[in-house]
Amino acid sequence: MKNFNIFEKIRLRFFGQREKVKHMKMSSVLLIGYRNIAINRTRSFLTIGGVSIGIGIITFLISLGFGVQAMVIREVTKNNPTEIVDVSNENLENFVVLDGETINKIKNIPDVKNVEVSANIGGKFLNGEAQTDAILYGMTSGYLKLSNVNIEGISFENFSSSDGIIVTPKLAALLGFEKAQDSIGKEVEYDAVVAKEITDVNAQADNNGQAGKKFKILGIVNDQSKADAIYAYAMFETLKRDYNVIAGQRGKIEIGNIAKIDLVRSQIEQLGFVTESVVDTVTDINSFFSIVRIVLIIFGTIIMSISAMGMMNTLSVSLLQRTKEVGILKALGAKRTDIFKMFIFEAILISFSGGAIGLLGGYGVAKGLNALINLISKRYGISAADFVLVPNAFVLAIVAFIVVLGISTGLFPARRASKIHALEALRYE
Amino acid sequence: MSDIQNEIAIKVKGIKKHFIVGGREIPILHGVDFEIKKGEFVLLVGPSGCGKSTLLHIIYGLEAPTEGTVDIGGEDEWSHTKNWRANFRNDNIGFIPQQPFWIKSLTVIENIAIPAVIAGKTFHEGIQIAAKLIELVGMSEWSNHRPYDLSGGQQQRVALARSLLLDPKFVIADEPTGNLDQKAGEQLMELLQNISQQFQITILMVTHNMDQYKFGTRIIQMVDGKITSDAANKHNYRAMKAEINLTKNEKQ
Repeated sequence: MKNFNIFEKIRLRFFGQREKVKHMKMSSVLLIGYRNIAINRTRSFLTIGGVSIGIGIITFLISLGFGVQAMVIREVTKNNPTEIVDVSNENLENFVVLDGETINKIKNIPDVKNVEVSANIGGKFLNGEAQTDAILYGMTSGYLKLSNVNIEGISFENFSSSDGIIVTPKLAALLGFEKAQDSIGKEVEYDAVVAKEITDVNAQADNNGQAGKKFKILGIVNDQSKADAIYAYAMFETLKRDYNVIAGQRGKIEIGNIAKIDLVRSQIEQLGFVTESVVDTVTDINSFFSIVRIVLIIFGTIIMSISAMGMMNTLSVSLLQRTKEVGILKALGAKRTDIFKMFIFEAILISFSGGAIGLLGGYGVAKGLNALINLISKRYGISAADFVLVPNAFVLAIVAFIVVLGISTGLFPARRASKIHALEALRYE
Repeated sequence: MSDIQNEIAIKVKGIKKHFIVGGREIPILHGVDFEIKKGEFVLLVGPSGCGKSTLLHIIYGLEAPTEGTVDIGGEDEWSHTKNWRANFRNDNIGFIPQQPFWIKSLTVIENIAIPAVIAGKTFHEGIQIAAKLIELVGMSEWSNHRPYDLSGGQQQRVALARSLLLDPKFVIADEPTGNLDQKAGEQLMELLQNISQQFQITILMVTHNMDQYKFGTRIIQMVDGKITSDAANKHNYRAMKAEINLTKNEKQ
């Protein structure tokens, strides 16, 4: 043999000359398997149907599971980019603020691109007879921008350069305005109590704790998570001018390299701050969905065990009916491996066609459901969303599973078939 | 191979066979010896249970003898492995069982092609050879039918075509007419006879039917696992044929 390879040499060295045995071609093995499936239509239909329903249900559930997870993460991260870390001083044991020095420390941490600050002061808003307690936030324009706030009545740019405030609709209502819009352009008074920690100690005597500062309402801020929130926003500069605020309690840190987020966070936490990131939420969502997936996998395993048992039953019956066929094939010179291959590939053909139909069917049904729900939601004015997703890894896993299913269910009947003696066929009934 | 070796096609020597049933040894063959020469049409006859089929299975390489050797074409069949014998059968021996047994999902012509497929050829290649043989046995029009749709006689013709597919040196037939009516049996035997003469194929056939003795060139009689007589057929085919023609003429 010319194409003598090293393995052949090793094999010859240890096991000697291999007996030259003729084997059936794979194409012939597959043809016989296919014909046998084709001729037993009802049985094959039911078996392949069983496998495809099993795989279909799993695909349907998994594609919804992954799809809904992706959709939720998409929605959560839409307004909260993952490269932003929220910093606050909620650590009560160690009261820290984001003053000039601390901001510089944070800016010096590698991979920190930008630091934006927000300060808040407590106090009471007054408008004639109406009055209410509310927090006034003063934020840098960068902080405001990163917060993705929804402002009505004034543009983001105009508000950034103003010294007025924007209020939530609920606050406007508490201050006696019938409609939130009515408050725009009106002046209200604010009695503030400013924490010492965030003010300039040297300038404190001048205007800290002054009562009766007047602010013009320039617009309405709609809270995205809470409709009845009560607060007002001003620019950080305004708080600095009116109340000598020079430090913030909250910050938004922009990270240059998302891979380093944990390192940056721990360094900030070293300074005594508490950090939060949308990554935490995403991790929570992922861990929730991994539980969902485990439940789905358990369901899937039960469903597939039933299909597998059905398949094994079919193959065993098929074997019993074909004892004489196997016998005559062996009498005519077929080897054990030929017979084994015939049965195992028939099993793989069944599981493969069942798997392919199931995979496409399950995905198709999920896509159809998605389209239907989008159609209905469009009618109610809700924007369409894509909540069906089949990851490539899942498709690969299913393909691997199909092969394993075929081999495992085919193994026992194929082994039994290959052991049938040629004389079985020739012993007359 | 020398001419002398060519001359002797099958050499059966000292074949003994016993089965163990429930711990008891049941002897079937008590030392069988014979030689078959190339081109002979040998009929193996005898009452039921005398060991004909067992002997045939031993010669065909399916059932191991307890003692003795089977030499076919210079090869001691039972000194080799199972796979070797499978290859050997496929290459050299055509086989016609009493019931032909088909691969149900394949057509008639695909079933004829099976020995070639087993030998590692594609169905396409096998069918090309099969097409000539199906014509030879006069079953061309049934090519694409399912074998079990055919009558018993037709099935045995197809089985004959299958046995001849790989151009075997010998054909072993185990009561191929056992399930056929008189006429179909006769037709099959004539076909077998013609093919044997035309292609110089050595045939060893088990039969019960005394009417068919006329087709053999030699008759080996077995009783209780022993050969009781082994002789050239006095009423050989040519003589019989002349007699048949005579009878036909008389009738006319």
